[in-house]
Amino acid sequence: MGGLIGVWAVELGLFVLVVAALLAERPIAVGLTVAAIALLLVAVQTSVRVWGWMATSFRTHRAAALGGAATLALALPFFLRASPYWTFVATMALLYVTIGQGLNLQMGTAGVINLAGAAFAGLGGYTVGLLTVRLGFAPWLAFAIGPLVAMVVGALLFIPILKVRGHYLALVTIAFGFIFNILMNNLEFTGGPQGIKNIPTLRLFGHAFTTAPTLFGVTLPSHANFYYAALAMAALVTWLAWRLYNSWVGLTLNTLRDDEIAAKCSGVSVTRHKLLAFSIGNLFVGLAGGFYAVMVGFVSPPDFDFGYSLVMLSVIILGGLDSIPGVVLGACLLIPLPERFRMLHEYRLLLYGAAIVLMLLFRPRGLWPAGVRRYGLGRPAGSFGAAGTRAEGVGVSR
Amino acid sequence: MLEVQGVSTRYGQISMLRNVSVALGEGEIACLLGPNGAGKTTLIRTIVGIVRPVAGSILFRGERIDGLKADQIVKRGIGVVPEGRRIFPKMTVEENLRMGAYADWGTREVESRLEQIFDRFPRLRERRRQIAATMSGGEQAMLAIGRALMGRPKLLLLDEPSLGLSPLLVEQIFEMIQAINRQGTTVFLVEQNARKTLALAHHGYLLQKGEIVGAGTAAELGESDIVRHAYLRA
Repeated sequence: MGGLIGVWAVELGLFVLVVAALLAERPIAVGLTVAAIALLLVAVQTSVRVWGWMATSFRTHRAAALGGAATLALALPFFLRASPYWTFVATMALLYVTIGQGLNLQMGTAGVINLAGAAFAGLGGYTVGLLTVRLGFAPWLAFAIGPLVAMVVGALLFIPILKVRGHYLALVTIAFGFIFNILMNNLEFTGGPQGIKNIPTLRLFGHAFTTAPTLFGVTLPSHANFYYAALAMAALVTWLAWRLYNSWVGLTLNTLRDDEIAAKCSGVSVTRHKLLAFSIGNLFVGLAGGFYAVMVGFVSPPDFDFGYSLVMLSVIILGGLDSIPGVVLGACLLIPLPERFRMLHEYRLLLYGAAIVLMLLFRPRGLWPAGVRRYGLGRPAGSFGAAGTRAEGVGVSR
Repeated sequence: MLEVQGVSTRYGQISMLRNVSVALGEGEIACLLGPNGAGKTTLIRTIVGIVRPVAGSILFRGERIDGLKADQIVKRGIGVVPEGRRIFPKMTVEENLRMGAYADWGTREVESRLEQIFDRFPRLRERRRQIAATMSGGEQAMLAIGRALMGRPKLLLLDEPSLGLSPLLVEQIFEMIQAINRQGTTVFLVEQNARKTLALAHHGYLLQKGEIVGAGTAAELGESDIVRHAYLRA
C-alpha cells in the first residue's frame, strides 16, 4: 500500500513542479523550478536506495502508475487553461511522441536510418492541405489519407534504401528531405513558399476543434481540443509500438539492427522486415504531420525543413534508442524546454548543445534506456499482441 | 545430404569460386581447408543463399536449393555458425538463442530446445539475461553454436568457429562439434587449424584461390604434400 501511494506521490510531485515551471512568469522563478526538477532527478538517480525503491514500486504498481500518469495528462489542460500557448506546446510534445515512436521503430529497433523525418511529416501535412483546400475533401478523410501517402512514398524510397547501409543510407534520406523541401518550395500547386493556407479544422460530432470546449463547467482554450486528440493519438501509437516491440516482430527487427548476415543465417527475410519497419514508422510520422496541418491550418516548406528532422532524431537519442518509454520522455523534455527558455534568445541553443554533450558523456544509452524483454513467464499461449499471427505461442512480456 | 556441383560465383568482375564441387554424406563430418581469401566463407554463404552462384547447382537432401532465398534454405534444415561468430551483440543470450529457432517461433517446441541448449551449455543458462556482446570470446562461440542448434539443423555449417580462441577453448569447441555429430547432425567444418580439423573430420576438401585443389579422406589429405607443406609445416 505504501508503494502505491508513493508512486502516486512521486507522479503528482513531478506534475506540480512541471506545471509550476511552465506557468512561472519571471525568469528567476523559471530557473528555480527547472533547477529543482533537475536536482531532484539527479538526486534520485545517484541515491541507490531511492532509485531501487522507485524501480520496485513502479514495477509492482505498474497499472496504478500508468493510471496516475494518464489522469495527470488528462488534467493538464485545466492547469494550463490561462495559457493557450502552453497548451499548444504540450500538444506539440505529444505530436513528437507520435513521430518519435515511428522513427524509433525505424532507427532504434530495426536500425534503418531515416534523417528525413520532417519530410515524411510534411508528406502527411501537405496531403491533408492539398486534399482539403484544393480538392474539397472532408478534413477527417484527408487526415486518414495523409499518413498512407507518407507510407507509400516511403515504400518507393525503399528501393534505393535497400541497396545502401550506414552513412550512405543517412545521405540518401537527407537527400530525400531536401528534395521534398525544394519541390514544395517550387511547385505551383503546393503554393510554393507561401504554402497552403486555410486548411479546415477537424470536427467531432459537430463540435469544431476551433471552438473553446467547456468541460466540468470550466472553459478551456480551443487548443485543448487538439491536446486531447493528440493525447489519444500518442497513447494509441505508443501502445502499438509497445506491443510490436515486445512481439517476435520487435525481436526480429532487432536482429537487423545488430547483424544482417546473422539475421539471414537465422532465416529472417531482411527485405520484408526492413520494409515493414520503415512503412509503419513513416505511417506514424505522417499521422503526426497530418495532425499538425489540421491543427495549425497552414503548411509551408519551412515547417518541414531539415532542422526538424534533427529535432526528431534528438528526441529518440535523448530518451534512449529502442526504448518506447524513452521516446515519450525525450519528446516531453525536448519540445517544451527550448520554449521555456525563450527569454535567453539564441543562447538557449548553447544550453541545448551542452545538454546533448552531457548526455552522450554520462548517459550514452539515453535517459530511459530500453529494458530487457522477459519471455514466457506465465503468459497464456498465443498472446503475441498486435503482431500475433502465429497461434499456439508463449508470450513475450516485461 | 549436400551436393555442391560445379558452383561458380562472382563479385562484380572478380571471380570468387570457380567450378567448386563438394559432397557430404549423411552423418559425416567434412572439412574445408584453405588460406585466407581462398573463398571458404563465400562457399558457405553460397550454400546458405546469401551469395547467388552464377553457374552450377546445389542439392540438399535431393532438392535443388540454389536460387532459393536464405530464409527458405535455413528452414529446410541447414544451421550456420557464420564467420566471426556474428552473434547479435546488443540482444540478450536468450534472445540470440530464440532467434536460432526463428522458423518455429512461438511453439512449445522452442522452450524444450532452449532447455536442452542450456543443459549442454550451462554457462549460457547463467548468462541468460545478459547482453551477448559483454561475454567472453569462448562464451560467444558457444552462443553462436547454440543458436545454430536451436533450429534443429540436419546439416550444420561452421565457419571458423575456433577463430581467436585460446588452445584450451579450441579443444572444447572441437569436442562439442564431435558430440553434436555423434547425435546425428551432419557437419561441414571450415577451418584454418588443419591438424585439429583433420583429426576430427572423416573427409575434406582443400580450397585455394577459389578452386578445389585437393580432396580425399582426412588421412589422405594429411599425407598430401600440399597440405603438409602449407598447413602442417611438417
